[in-house]
Amino acid sequence: MPAHPLQRVCYVEDDEDIQKIVRMSLERVGKMTVAVVGDPHVAVDVMHAFKPELVMLDWMMPGMDGPTLYRKMKEIPVICDLPVVFITAKASQKELDELRALGAAGTISKPFSPKDLPGQLQAIWKSLP
Amino acid sequence: MNSRSTAPDVLAPAPQDVASRAADAGSRADPQRVLADRVEQLYSQMPIGILVTLVIGAIATYELWDTRTRDLVLFWWGLVLLVTAARAALYLGYRAATNKLAEARQWLRWLAISALANGANWGFAGAVFFPSHTDEQQVFLAFLLAGIASAGIPTYAASWPMFAMYSGAIVMPFTYVLANFGNRLFAEIALLVPLFYFVNVGIAYRLNQVFFSGYRLRHAYGRLTEDYTALNKRLEQQLVELEEARRQVEASGRKLALFAERAPIAVLELDAGGHVQRINHTAENLFGWSSQELADRNASVKILVRPEYHAEFDEQWRQLMASRTPLAHLRIRNPRRDGIELVCEWNVTPLVNPDGAVVGVIAQGQDITRQMEAEKLKKEFTSTLSHELRTPLTSIIGSLQLINSGVLGDVDKEVAELTGVAERNGQRLLDLINDILDIEKIESGNLTMVPEVIALDELVDEALVLNEGFAERFHVRLEKRGALLSTRVSADRKRLLQVMTNLLSNAAKFSPGGGAVEVAMEDLGERVRVSVLDRGPGIPENFRARIFGRFAQADSSLTRQKGGTGLGLAICKRLLELMDGHIAFADREGGGTVFYFDLPKQAA
Repeated sequence: MPAHPLQRVCYVEDDEDIQKIVRMSLERVGKMTVAVVGDPHVAVDVMHAFKPELVMLDWMMPGMDGPTLYRKMKEIPVICDLPVVFITAKASQKELDELRALGAAGTISKPFSPKDLPGQLQAIWKSLP
Repeated sequence: MNSRSTAPDVLAPAPQDVASRAADAGSRADPQRVLADRVEQLYSQMPIGILVTLVIGAIATYELWDTRTRDLVLFWWGLVLLVTAARAALYLGYRAATNKLAEARQWLRWLAISALANGANWGFAGAVFFPSHTDEQQVFLAFLLAGIASAGIPTYAASWPMFAMYSGAIVMPFTYVLANFGNRLFAEIALLVPLFYFVNVGIAYRLNQVFFSGYRLRHAYGRLTEDYTALNKRLEQQLVELEEARRQVEASGRKLALFAERAPIAVLELDAGGHVQRINHTAENLFGWSSQELADRNASVKILVRPEYHAEFDEQWRQLMASRTPLAHLRIRNPRRDGIELVCEWNVTPLVNPDGAVVGVIAQGQDITRQMEAEKLKKEFTSTLSHELRTPLTSIIGSLQLINSGVLGDVDKEVAELTGVAERNGQRLLDLINDILDIEKIESGNLTMVPEVIALDELVDEALVLNEGFAERFHVRLEKRGALLSTRVSADRKRLLQVMTNLLSNAAKFSPGGGAVEVAMEDLGERVRVSVLDRGPGIPENFRARIFGRFAQADSSLTRQKGGTGLGLAICKRLLELMDGHIAFADREGGGTVFYFDLPKQAA
């Protein structure tokens, strides 16, 4: 269990409206520092610069979906150690199980409540080894 | 149909039957019938006998008439008339009788008595009138008696004892008179008469035997003829039935052929080796081969299977030949003649003869290519709908929740009211979409359960905590009734929570403000029951039957008042069924309703 509460989160999401809501939710409710990335292709660069403690990936994004980005992250030193939480609107239990088996820290299903989102993330953060 | 199919079995032993009947024909004549026939023969002679008696009696009376013996002759004539009248009465009685067969012996006895009486009459004439009359008259009498006695042979041919009695009654008194006449010639005649008598009886006996065997043969023949007639009748009837059965089989054969020919599904007739014998029109149109072409080539049905699946096909065919049981719903990719691939669903039925050998195979196939495409499209549509609707809803509800939570600062009271309305209705829309997707998944069989062994009491506790907030909106408390039982069940945790949430929120919605919804657990032995009790208005009578149906709500105005999609209970019922559970409801004592479900217990 990490020694301190979760503070720095990087969120990769193409939908600008949801970007705004998640940013507000995590900053205002969760009192966290957030970096939002709209283009998954530059996500790794942002992570290098921002140095998040946890990464949230949207499942479905044009160009590159969450699982692909996740696999790409796994090939990069330092980045590969970051805990990853998937935000998904549709995924079969089988697919979710597969990702968990790959090492995903958790999944949060869409739609989520912005009131509860920081709590959900902190719970996942606490459950990390 | 059944009785007809056994017809040949009935026919088969008949010829032997006939042969055996012919062999014992003699012994087959019924003795009672033979007797009755003899009696009939004897009685048939009576009218002639009576007539002859009267004529000869009258002549004798005339010839013997003289003053000396007038009284005696008159007496005798009276006797003759009396006996003859009695015989005539007997004859008429016999003719009128209805049960001659059974009473044959009785009639024979009466006839014997009458024959004896008749014979005794003539014997009386010989004994009384011979000594008292002239030589010429004596010659006349002797001639008369000899004639009368021998006339008995044909008359009583059917019964020699009767002839013996009759003839004896005539001859014996006469012989006695001759023997005692005192004349040497007459004494010699008296010695000869018994000899003639016995010879006559002997002849009568022989004649009787001939008659006897004649009658027996006649009867046996009659029997045989009857048997043959009956057999012929039976054969004829069976032939008619067989012919009728053949027509029916032919007709149903034609019907079947017509069904196969006109059926909207492809029908293939294969031999046991998998070679195509015949295919119907639909199959011809579907695959582009004509029935004749395939039969001429002695083509294997594998012509309709892609080469890379041939090994798999061979294995399945081998299993079919071994099991000899029909296979249903086989989905196979079938290439058409032009190479375009179809997906067909096949029902394959081996035809097995009575010895258990497979003589052929009927394959019925339906082209489901389009259906599969439609299913795929539907799945894609549902999946897209799910994503495309949820994404904007996430933004809408999320924004409203942030505003309503107050983290962005206070808002005007009226604005807050409206954003509250917007958030609630957004949530309702989301619930509806989720419920529709759930129902769709359950009904298409795409819902996968993730069963795990869970502590049911802990899950109930969790559900109570999760729904507290919702209940508060209706000013309702959620309470436990008694202690929760520590029980394990095998269930999908998330789905079972969904069921609990549904039941608790329903109960809360319909409870009066300030009241409580109670949850209880009960041990049913093999199963465990969870009940949710409310003090609501109860379930209207006319709604009970369809409460677990889709879009079921007692009153559509309630939907607006209380929210809900009308799918919740339908989903609960199906989810529980997938977990081997069962849901039901009952009226609660003192008002309100109890919804309860039970699940099989899992050993700890």
